[in-house]
Amino acid sequence: MKNEFLLLKTLLLSTSGLNILRHSDDRKKKRKVIAGAIGVLFLYLLLMLYSILICVGYGVTGLIQEAPIMCALVISALSFVFTLLKTNGYLFNFKEYDMLMSLPLEAGTVAGCRFFYMYIKSLSWYLSISAAMLIGYSFFVHPSPAVYPVWILLSLILPVIPMLGAAFLGFLIARISAGFKKTSLIQTVLTFAFVLIMFFLRFFLESVLENDQMENVLGKASEMTGKAAGINRPALWFSNAVTKADPLGAFLLITVNLGLAAALFAVVGNSYRNINSALKSHASAGKYRVKTMKRRSVLMAVAFKEFRRMTGSTTYMVNGAMGEVLAFILGLAALLIGFDRIAAVVTGGAPVDSVMLQPAIPFIVYFLIGMVATTVCSPSLEGKNYWIVQSLPIEKKTLYQGKMLFNMFLTLPFMVFTTLCLCVSAKVPAVNTLLYLILGFALCTFLTAWGCVCGIHFMRLDWENEVEVIKQGRAVVIYMFPNMIAAMIMVVLAVVLGMQMDHRILALIFIMAVSLLAGLSFMRAMVLAERN
Amino acid sequence: MNEGIILEIRHFSKSYREGKKAVDDISLSVMSGDICGFIGHNGAGKSTTIRAVVGVLDFKEGDIFIDGHSVKKEPMACKRVTAYIPDNPDLYENLTGIQYLNFVADVFGIGSAEREESIRRYGDMFEITEALGDMIGSYSHGMKQKVAIISALIHSPRLLVLDEPFVGLDPKASFTLKEIMHDMCRQGSAVFFSTHVLDVAEKLCNKVAIIRQGRIIASGGMEEILQGQSLEEAFLEADSDEE
Repeated sequence: MKNEFLLLKTLLLSTSGLNILRHSDDRKKKRKVIAGAIGVLFLYLLLMLYSILICVGYGVTGLIQEAPIMCALVISALSFVFTLLKTNGYLFNFKEYDMLMSLPLEAGTVAGCRFFYMYIKSLSWYLSISAAMLIGYSFFVHPSPAVYPVWILLSLILPVIPMLGAAFLGFLIARISAGFKKTSLIQTVLTFAFVLIMFFLRFFLESVLENDQMENVLGKASEMTGKAAGINRPALWFSNAVTKADPLGAFLLITVNLGLAAALFAVVGNSYRNINSALKSHASAGKYRVKTMKRRSVLMAVAFKEFRRMTGSTTYMVNGAMGEVLAFILGLAALLIGFDRIAAVVTGGAPVDSVMLQPAIPFIVYFLIGMVATTVCSPSLEGKNYWIVQSLPIEKKTLYQGKMLFNMFLTLPFMVFTTLCLCVSAKVPAVNTLLYLILGFALCTFLTAWGCVCGIHFMRLDWENEVEVIKQGRAVVIYMFPNMIAAMIMVVLAVVLGMQMDHRILALIFIMAVSLLAGLSFMRAMVLAERN
Repeated sequence: MNEGIILEIRHFSKSYREGKKAVDDISLSVMSGDICGFIGHNGAGKSTTIRAVVGVLDFKEGDIFIDGHSVKKEPMACKRVTAYIPDNPDLYENLTGIQYLNFVADVFGIGSAEREESIRRYGDMFEITEALGDMIGSYSHGMKQKVAIISALIHSPRLLVLDEPFVGLDPKASFTLKEIMHDMCRQGSAVFFSTHVLDVAEKLCNKVAIIRQGRIIASGGMEEILQGQSLEEAFLEADSDEE
């Protein structure tokens, strides 16, 4: 265990802001660490507030007993998806692989430590949700004092099984793609496929489990949660341990976790070197002949560089384009099965008139497409290559405009496609459709410019692993969570206001407001670009 | 296994998925006390061979032995007696130099007094002791290289493997590293390193291996290879013969 502890400690130390505060002489760097920590702390509070509000909702509607299962399900789902998106880069194909593997450390030790490092780094998010839901639960239920330590202790273990499952899937993806010439492409496609399967599996299970006889939406929600927990056994064990003081639930949760972890790292350790060797080896074709080359403007050249950067990295591609792929599928689904049925699935069968939802269409698409903007992570992704653009005769403004242009190229076609599909499917009048398309354009401009503001403000070039800036960089976290919550609020606001006023006037108001925000964000991004 | 052989590469080949061979059936041995230079064009297969020797790259064809242990079958035994310095060391940028050195010393199980003595000695030799409390991220390339070298020497390896070790080092540090290499060899260790600087290889090495398109085209004692020419001339001649 000595080497495991050593490596884990070093990995944590090497990415800890505390180490920078203690040992760096760079004041700017220290200020960034402190500002980032305050920003992240604010997000923890926001997440906790959101979780408490969910509990309040459960409490008010008399469903508070479902809160522990819901807590377990939410943590399981988040930990599964986020781990799957991070496996390539954390577990495999990471930068310091050569340095670590040349030391006398077993492959299983390296893989295990990288996994637990990933677990510890994300644990605070899951604990925020869990602690907040415990507060909400205890407010309504007044449980025995024993529930508090059991809840918190088991919350530490709760994300492990989904993370192990996701790591195993990541291992399979890496194993399969290592055998192909186009490793990165195969990895990207397989990761997308697995994430989408998991995403749509939820809806599939819900439709399989659906009971048409149920009249009460709340009663249905309760039953659905119970059934979902029946499928996700660890969530049920957690709930039983907390609500029924069931020692068997706690015992099963702990032992199954330990057993699965041991089994996984025995399997992964065996082919760890083999997979990483394949992922890191690239043969050159050596067949290139100089031919006519296309000339691009500086702006287009920067945008094209961004395109190549994205398609060259599985982690970047999967995280950066996930929203676009989901939006594309949503658009197709709307055309194939109809807007009404999708609305019914999303609202859990609540009696919602689809016309009511029409003003929210651009914001629904924005919720998906706006999840991640490439402009959030692309400034940091320059990393150690930053000297290249610094030493070239490129204005800082042009550089960031190029990055923004690429994000527009990426997001706008999907925004147009999905908005059109939803509008056609929902039989939205032509003028309204046009206004929603303009609003979609304004939203794309806003997410691009606002993403750039976050990206430049929280730019971090000294990363060890690109996952640190793509998946969990401060810029990404500070952009993503408030943006998702704001998108949800805007969906609700559009529906509520749409019931009070003409949809076209509402769309025009939104267009003006979003355009103003986009313009302000763009100007702020340009100011930051000059200062940086 | 002959007595005194520290590194033995036997019929090692490495193919890419496309079937193209990066390294094709190479064999060579480095004895205790040898400093062996590994030279060749860019993309000739030097780094592939070196990464396989140090246990980073997986391979199927052939075998590599370090101090009598197979890299394939006993990787841990090999790594315990080997030290590796890559051409562009990726160290943890947010650790201080001393934190990184302590980590490596811990992995090798080096005692407190011993590591303190080594770090002080090599730190002073490379004139970096005072900077060891700073973050690695604030170091220049050469300083990072020096930390990587100290971390490689901390456990007194039997085999020191270096990929382009003199790139980025200042003249004094280069001289110090050469002195350390000689010193290690006098104590029975061996050094295997790749370089493009043929003058350095000619003066420093007693053995040389020339690799071209994945195959060894010449190897042996320095005098045997030179035959009255400079290493540069010998290299170019061997290279043109192969063409």
